[in-house]
Formats: sequence, structure tokens, C-alpha cells
Amino acid sequence: MIEVVDVYYEYADGTRALNGVSLRIGKGEIVAIMGENGAGKTTLVKHFNGLLKPTKGTVKINGIDTREKSVAELSKIVGIVFQNPDHQLFADTVEEEIKFSLKNFNFSEDVISSRIKWALKIMELEKYSRKSPYTLSVGERKRLAIASVLAYDPEIIVLDEPTAGQDWIQKEKISEIINLLKHMGKTIVIVTHDIEFVLERVNRIILMANGKIIADGKKREILSNIRILERARLIPPQIPHLSYLLYEKGVIDRRDILFLDELLRELEARL
Amino acid sequence: MSFLEAFSYRRKNTFIHLLDPRTKFSILVSITLLSLGFFSSLIQLLLLSFIIFLLIIAKCFREWLRTMRSMIFLLILIFILNYLTVIHNRFEYSLSMTLRFATLTSAFSLFFLTTTPDELALALESSGIPRDYSLMFTLALRFVPTMARDINIVMDALRSRGLELDKGKFKERIKNYGYLLVPLIIYEIRRSLMVAEALEARAYGAVKNVKLYRPLKMTMKDKIISVITLFLSLTITIISVLCQINLPF
Amino acid sequence: MAVIEISDLYYRYPVSTDWVLKGINFRAKRGEYIILTGPSGCGKSTFARVLNGLIPNFYGGKLRGIAKVMNLDISRTPTYILAKHVGMVFQNPENQLFFSTVEREIAFGLENLGYSSEEISDRVEETLERFNLVHLRNKAPYELSGGQQQRVAIASVMAMDPEILVMDEPTANLDPLSALEILKLVKENIVSRGKLAIVIEHRLELALRFATRIVVMVDGRIIADGQPFETLQSVENIVGVPKIVKLYYRLLNKGVYLKNPPRSPEEMATYICSELGARDD
Repeated sequence: MIEVVDVYYEYADGTRALNGVSLRIGKGEIVAIMGENGAGKTTLVKHFNGLLKPTKGTVKINGIDTREKSVAELSKIVGIVFQNPDHQLFADTVEEEIKFSLKNFNFSEDVISSRIKWALKIMELEKYSRKSPYTLSVGERKRLAIASVLAYDPEIIVLDEPTAGQDWIQKEKISEIINLLKHMGKTIVIVTHDIEFVLERVNRIILMANGKIIADGKKREILSNIRILERARLIPPQIPHLSYLLYEKGVIDRRDILFLDELLRELEARL
Repeated sequence: MSFLEAFSYRRKNTFIHLLDPRTKFSILVSITLLSLGFFSSLIQLLLLSFIIFLLIIAKCFREWLRTMRSMIFLLILIFILNYLTVIHNRFEYSLSMTLRFATLTSAFSLFFLTTTPDELALALESSGIPRDYSLMFTLALRFVPTMARDINIVMDALRSRGLELDKGKFKERIKNYGYLLVPLIIYEIRRSLMVAEALEARAYGAVKNVKLYRPLKMTMKDKIISVITLFLSLTITIISVLCQINLPF
Repeated sequence: MAVIEISDLYYRYPVSTDWVLKGINFRAKRGEYIILTGPSGCGKSTFARVLNGLIPNFYGGKLRGIAKVMNLDISRTPTYILAKHVGMVFQNPENQLFFSTVEREIAFGLENLGYSSEEISDRVEETLERFNLVHLRNKAPYELSGGQQQRVAIASVMAMDPEILVMDEPTANLDPLSALEILKLVKENIVSRGKLAIVIEHRLELALRFATRIVVMVDGRIIADGQPFETLQSVENIVGVPKIVKLYYRLLNKGVYLKNPPRSPEEMATYICSELGARDD
């Protein structure tokens, strides 16, 4: 469980990145944190594993104040997969890459080897196990970065911009991975501005702007609120946007439609 | 990183900022020459106060002060080391060496705080150095902050994967930092390729004799200041060497 | 008249034995806004680099077939000459900006082409004006947002007045609104002036509003090329079709004919309303 209470954060150069942020994320939730670049999303999630400590306020992970533990101890609970896989691949082979974190966390040799096998299998990377990470394609590198975090089985997984620059097929793969994590009972936090992606995969959305949370709620509530999306400088997803416009013009009676089939049903009544 | 702060350019509209980079360079050279040429701690102190005076005009005093504060430990170390190794005139000697170090650092800090990498490159180009080299210089400086940011990102990733960078014995720590190098080197090689592509796309190397958008021009003000500084510092140096003056202090 | 003419083009990189481009045929005219898309690794970036001669002039390798831009054979024309005809903008804006002010950035390409100082000045002013950068002229790259950086990168190549602009995933690092602004800028500032723009882009829901033509590549080949909606429909399982386009075709299946396929939710809403209005009459 993540508990953030009235957190402020200021970088060494004086930039204020968080301006009083409070939130709770419960076990097993799937949450998207959205907002434009510079809204404070990444700064916020870096507080979850103690990479950053609040200038003011507290962050607690499973009841532990992040100020009292090292990044390594917290990372065992909160695994963060950063945006660019090329910033987080350190080893000579794919296998070694996954082993790297397992060794840092002092797992025993037999656990290490079984976890490596498991992670490679889930991410469909088995055939590359002895290859250099840098010979993989962009999408495969991304999956390897996820595998290296997944292998040590953190309770909470944070994905920073998992779909940025990915093609449609890769996005589908990432979507399957998220589903899998959901079934494993993980708490998942996705930092993104890919609103069409979020629409189908998360339950709750937190909107940020200027280092503050400006909205936090169920996805239906947030994604059909065009005004609030605009405040977060997001482009509304197409179907909710269209539904909102049709509602305004009096064509349909509901304004909280998210999916194509829902809208089709409403339209069939009229057309 | 606070140490580097004193050497990265701040845009301000002051008398010093607007001087030609070559003028500022002549001031830098003169101060360096005088500081190295004279031993007396009083002279070092005079030079230092002169630089501080210029820093105040350039509105960069605060940036300089912050760096000096982070260097206090180093300055004390210089003092102690000198004090322990020298036999005669220990105090005066150590003080002077320490002040000399502060003076030289401050002089360079003044120069870099008030001169953009572009201006520097332009100064190089205007003094006949080929465009390839001046561009190399521009790029090297340009990508320092970008690389610093990359280092931070990679360090965050390493720490998030459970590596405790500063834990363990010296040898282990060195090994830990080795992990940092793998993604960084690969990343920077890729970046250099991307930069090279972008340069090609901007027709770099199309024409041998390029005309510059804003060629540097020494104004009368610049000429006067450079001539005076260089003349003064040379005169002082020559006189002191010729006459072997033993100044009373 | 076609400004790009490519026929039966094959290419492979120096150390590789596999062809990356396998028989590309492609022609493009002024005034087109072409979105080039397809799964990563399909050869789109390689293809884009052929268009300004980075391939083969910079990368080497083996090129077979005909590739002409503005009637210049790209394998016989140095990149710096092609740069006058083809502006190229890359994914990461930061790696394309070298100087500590925007105006010097824009001047750089003009300096390289050997213009006189006065002409450089004139063109810099005109470019700053045209790309709405006057207020940013003295800013350094790190003082600009990602969207502004990319705008400067575009302005810097367009200052050299090429007839063609090629962009390799220019919006991949930007947030959606900034991405939309960049795509719109290309439409209003480049395509509307009779130039040709070829943009590699994954986010079709944003790009669709501007595209006059969509080209889809898979495994080194162009598998679809043409009018945006027909093209999208034919490659549904490869590139992910925007939701409103899906809705349009679902309605069509149910016998509801809207005036045109929609390029944005706003357009779709208008079409639905006018269809309803027509029925009420």
C-alpha cells in the first residue's frame, strides 16, 4: 500500500516539482497517473522507492516511512521500470541482466536460476538468454527491463511511460503483460499520457498539473470529464470525446460513455 | 554538482557579460599570469578582491560564493598539506598557495559564468581555428548538462534494481560505478551518431568559407580594456623580474 | 510532377546480409502530407534516410534500384546538397540542437550553405517570425519545452528552404498536445505552402486529421499506400485504427452512411448530426 501525505518536493536548483500531493493506492489497484510533461508524475513515483525523499510531508510504503529505509530495501517492495530501456540495461547477456537485481537482493543461487527462467518465459525472451541485451529490438529491450524487475517479485510495480514510442503491436504485448500482473495480484501504477491505452486497462486515474493532483477517481468519471482533461493538458480519448459532443448537441442522453460498443448501442436507438 | 555551477554560463545583461569573449580571455590570462608570477599572499588577496569586484559587477557573486563554500574543504587541505611539507616561512607560504588556488579558480569561474560556449567557439573561429574544431568545442560543452542528466537517470535505475552504489569496500564501489559505464557509453555513442546525422541534415561541410551570422566584433571598449589589462600585467611582471624587487610585504 | 521518385529500391547496411528495404516503389508530389507508419523494425527510418541521402552517403551499404529526389540521384549527390532540398528532423529534439540560442541554431544551416551575413540575418528573422519563435530567440535548448525544441529543430531545417520535409517520429518524446501542435504546424506552415511533408508517426488518432495519404510498411516493403481511410481499413491488424474510424465502418455495416469518414471526433459529431437532421426532414 502506498500512502502519500501532503508531499512537497523541491529540486536542488529550486524548481518546485510537487506542491502538496496526497494519495492512497491500495493493494491490487491498477492506477494511471497522467498529466503533461513536467507535471510532476515521474518525481512523484520516484518517491515510492525512496529515490527522492519528500522536502515536506511523508511517503509510506506498507506503513514504512521511506525516509527510514534505503532505496534498495524499498525497491524490493516497489519495482520501477523506467521509460527508456537503454538507461537500465547493465549486463553482458539477457540472463545476466535479470540476475543482476536478484544478486543485489541476495537471493540464493537456486532461487535465482528458477526466477530467471520464469521471468524469461513470461516475457517471451527465452531464446535470447545468452545474447547481449543491446542486440534486441526496442520492444524486446522494453520487455527485458520489465522482466528484470518482475523477477524479484515486487508487490508494487511502477511502469513509467510503458507505451511511449512503441508501435501498436508492442502496445498490445504490454497490455497483455499488465493483464498478467493484474492476475498475479500486483499493485500497478502506470505513468503515461497515452490516454487511449489507459482507457481500456486501468480502473482509476490520477490527473496531475503543476505538481498537484487536480483529479483522482474512477476512469469513467475522469475520462468523460472533458474540462478536467483539458486542465491537465490531455487530449480526451476519441469515443468519450465524441460522446460528450453528441450529448451536448442532444443526440444522446448519456455523457459518460467510454467504449465503442456502448456508443454504438446509444446511436442505434437514434439512427 | 554544485562545484560545476560556478563554471556554467548564466545569462545576464551586465557590462562584463557584454564584453567580447576575447577581452574576457585577456583578463583571465592577465590574472593567471600575475597570480602565478607573484608569491606574496597580499598580491593574491588583491587579485582575488579584484575578481570579486568583477563578479559583483557581473551579478554572479552568489553563484561564485556557493562554489567557494563547497570548496572550503579543498582549500583547507591545500593549506594543511603545504604547511606540513614546507620548512621555511610555513604560514606565509601555505596561505599564499591557498589564496593562489582560490584566485585561479575564481578567475576561471568569472570567465565561464559570463561567456557562452557559443561565444567561446566563435572566438576560436574568429582567431583562425577551423570550424570543425570550434564546433567540436561547442558540442562538447553543449552536451555536458545532457550527459549529467543521463548519469542521474542511469544511477536512479541502478539504485532501483537494488545496487547500493556507495556501499562496500573501495574495490566494490569502483565495480559498482563500472555498471554505470555500460549504458552510458552505449548511449553516448548512439547519441554521437544521431548528432552526426543531424549535422549532415543541416548541410554541415557544404562550403569551405562560411560567413558567420554574427561575427564577433571588438568594440572600442573591448580594445581599450584588453590593451590596458595586458599592458599593465606585462609591465608589472617585467619590472618585478628585472628589478628583483623585494616588496616589503 | 513528382518530387520523389523511387522504383524497385533495395538496400542493406554494410555489415548485414539481409535487405532492409525490399523493392520499394514510391512517388510523391508537392502539397502532400504523407504519414508513414508500420511496426518498429519495418524499415521506415531506413527509408526516411534514403530520402535525404544519409543512406547511402553517410551509412554506406548496398543500394539497388532508382532513388531520385528533385531529379537528383541520391547516391550520386552529397548529403549537403540534398539538405537544400530535403529537410530532415529526428525523434530526439535535443540531439539536433547545438547552440545556446535559438537564433544561432537557425543561422547554422544557412552559414553552412555559404550565404552572406546579411542574407543569413534576413532569413533568420523571417524564420523566427514564421515559426513563432521571436520571443524565444535568445533561449538555450534546456530552457525550452520538448515541443518548443522540436519547433526550433523544424525551423532550423526549414530556414534552408527545402521543398521536402521528412520527419522520423518527431513526436515520440512529446506529450499529446505538443505532438498535435507539431503535426498542425507542419500542415499550416509547410504543406499549405505547397511543400511535401513525410512524417513517420505511430499515433494515427492524432495524425489522421492532417494526412492526405498514409503509407504502411511491413518488413521492408510498402504493403499499403493511398487515401487515408481505405489504407487504414486494409491494415487494421497491423497499425491499430483510430476508434472513430472503427465506429464509422461499424455504422456503415449497419447501413448508416455518413457524409465522409471522420478525421476527428469533432468532424464525426458534425456528420452524425447532419445525418440525423437529414432524416428528421
